[in-house]
Amino acid sequence: MNTHSWREVRRQLRESGPAGLVAVALVTVASAWGGALWTLRGWVRSELLAQGRDTAVVAIARGPAEVASLKAALSERFPYLPSAALSPRKVQEELADWFPELSTVLLTLDERSFPPLLQVQVPHGQEAAVAAFLQARPEVTLVESSSGWQARLERAVSRFFYAGSALALALLVACCAVVLLVVRLLVLNHADEIAIMRLIGAHEGDIRRPYIVCGALLGLLGGALGAAVLLAVRAALRAALPALAIDPWLLALLPAGGAAAAAAGAALGLASLPAEP
Amino acid sequence: MIRLEGISKSYNGRQALRAITARVERGEFLFLSGPSGAGKSTFLRLLYRAELPDSGNIEVNGSDLLRLRRREVAEFRRRLGVIFQDFKLLRRRTVAENVTFVLSLLNLSERDQQRRAYLVLKQMGLQQRTGAFPDELSGGEQQRVAIARALVLQPDLILADEPTGNLDPERSHELLELFKTINYQGTTVVVATHDRGLIAAHPARTLFLERGSVVRDGWGSAA
Repeated sequence: MNTHSWREVRRQLRESGPAGLVAVALVTVASAWGGALWTLRGWVRSELLAQGRDTAVVAIARGPAEVASLKAALSERFPYLPSAALSPRKVQEELADWFPELSTVLLTLDERSFPPLLQVQVPHGQEAAVAAFLQARPEVTLVESSSGWQARLERAVSRFFYAGSALALALLVACCAVVLLVVRLLVLNHADEIAIMRLIGAHEGDIRRPYIVCGALLGLLGGALGAAVLLAVRAALRAALPALAIDPWLLALLPAGGAAAAAAGAALGLASLPAEP
Repeated sequence: MIRLEGISKSYNGRQALRAITARVERGEFLFLSGPSGAGKSTFLRLLYRAELPDSGNIEVNGSDLLRLRRREVAEFRRRLGVIFQDFKLLRRRTVAENVTFVLSLLNLSERDQQRRAYLVLKQMGLQQRTGAFPDELSGGEQQRVAIARALVLQPDLILADEPTGNLDPERSHELLELFKTINYQGTTVVVATHDRGLIAAHPARTLFLERGSVVRDGWGSAA
């Protein structure tokens, strides 16, 4: 890229006008959305779905007596696992503690409405064996594991992530299409000039490069704005979600990704350029 | 330098050139003359490979134009100085940029580009108009920019299509003198013109075309 090429890029950026701004806006939205999605996914995984930490396995027993025998059987089979037997009254109190808005209602209910539980703290990787053991016991009516809930949450988050990524991708494709149209219009407007440039010895690369760079700069600007939006959102949520962190590489990737998508659009737009006879 | 063998070219069934065979040696000065529609411009367009002939062979500057690959076409044209009848200036670029653009293709330094462009524009009397855009110039000035752009490359071969068409007689003769000077320095010059007075004033070998055929090949306007 020599001085002439950069001047040409500046002219093209000016000439791209409102369509160019639409392309920038699309990349901004796509990259901010994609970046937010990725950041949120990281936060959910690290904060809510942390792998490797202990799992709570809860077994609902048929009655208070069964809880005691279940605890004894568990201690015999897994002597190193800490467990706690919760009476219906204790369950009622814990639930009231977890949901203070409902505590009045919960505490007025008959304590027999609540099941006795055995709560077991299980190291990562052993929850399946413990759950299977409890499930097989006759005293148990239902076994639930926090890892099961985590898995369900992870599936939901993944689905949301894929849907969100598809939306970000659709926005990037739209940006590609807008840049394609911008470049196609520029090429149409400059058809005579391009023919002249060829006649005076310009290579195809000399002719096409400024258009590609123009498209890439539109994408780069959009990506940089997207990264700025992401940082602004992060700053706004700092108090509510202190653990929400944006990867530095993501901030670098957003402008680069925007530039690449827009450059691809520009390259496609140049396909309309008639070839030398 | 230039060798044409049995060149024919037609557009939509209308024959523009018919079996032209000609040879121009290195350092020669050649006028292409003939009435409008005789095929002068087509002849030149074939020489800078803006067109390919329907039949025949063309060799220019040692390059077989029918076998040039796309990338080689650009390299080939960089060794030519072409002055187009309709100037073909880059409308969105200033006079100076029009001239330095071709130099930038040769990867010359910015400083060299500016220096060479200034010298040639001064030679053309355009040193005060370097910042103007082509649409702000008169026809004569535009033509002089086109000439400056062709000369700044210091090419082996200059092809000029009616280069004096928009110049007053005094400027026309000055331009022909300039071409002659460049030619004396070893550059081959081919000028297409219908101006017989110009040929008479600057006698040189002349190919006279009529209806796409060379009807006379001789010296001066007598050709």
